Amino acid sequence: MGSNLISSTGGKGRKRVRVPKSRAERFSVAPPLETGAPTDLELMKAIQAEDPDALSQLYDRYNGILKALILRVIHNEAEADDLLQEIFMEIWNQAKNFSSQKGKPLGWMVTLARRRAIDGLRKKQAYARAEERLQNETEQQPEAWVHNATEEEIVLSDTRSLIRKVISGLPPAQQQAIDLAFFRGMSQREIAAKTNTPLGTVKTRLELGLKKIYDGLKELRGEL
Amino acid sequence: MSFKEFQNQSRLYVIGALESEELEEFEKARKKFGKKAEDYISECYGLHEAFALSLQPAKASTAIKDRLMAMVRARKET
Repeated sequence: MGSNLISSTGGKGRKRVRVPKSRAERFSVAPPLETGAPTDLELMKAIQAEDPDALSQLYDRYNGILKALILRVIHNEAEADDLLQEIFMEIWNQAKNFSSQKGKPLGWMVTLARRRAIDGLRKKQAYARAEERLQNETEQQPEAWVHNATEEEIVLSDTRSLIRKVISGLPPAQQQAIDLAFFRGMSQREIAAKTNTPLGTVKTRLELGLKKIYDGLKELRGEL
Repeated sequence: MSFKEFQNQSRLYVIGALESEELEEFEKARKKFGKKAEDYISECYGLHEAFALSLQPAKASTAIKDRLMAMVRARKET
């Protein structure tokens, strides 16, 4: 297996960390870091060694993304904040189960956050309330907070706009099917029932949409 | 199941959209294709990352981080 050399500067100057190169890393669309900032992988290793400051840095880097994901699932600000705290606590407690061989830290955190958010949604039986709020919201997520964009946020925003471009290229029915499956945790049958669409059509929409996004992201990877 | 079909199913699998009857066939194919299958599934999890990055980040309450770090430090001391 090959390897990437990732340069990073810590407090004591420049250091080079050898990181195994995996297919998952090549596919990643995570935004680039500021020069000298520790990589996500370095932070995860420090968290595995029980360094609270590493968790603090990881929180600062990704709380906005993870909260947006949770909000998209449960549509409740206060519950999203509580869940965000629980998820970062779980990241701390479960860090030992993270393996860089299986993917990147952000992917692992998003998977964990999505699962917790969907579990939370089901446990609280908040479907009805979330349905109502969802219908009142526009397709575009509203600006959550008005603030001056930092350089990191601008880079992230570029990444986001490129990803959104890929997703918005899909027919609305495919976007809807993927949205319901990913952000609402719905099965194909549940999507079929909710959208009054034949099961086979839902399956085709999901397959075509996901393939287009997957292929689009692979191309996008070269632009980031 | 061909590997191309497996790839299609993998993308559904990672977002939890396979129905139970499909899951059984998928797991059989996963065993059959071995490491190639595992590598492909790992790659598909990149979709999670992308879907999350497509959202406008939301600002968390400042009290959340304070509470979190207090809990982590307390946990570490015990």
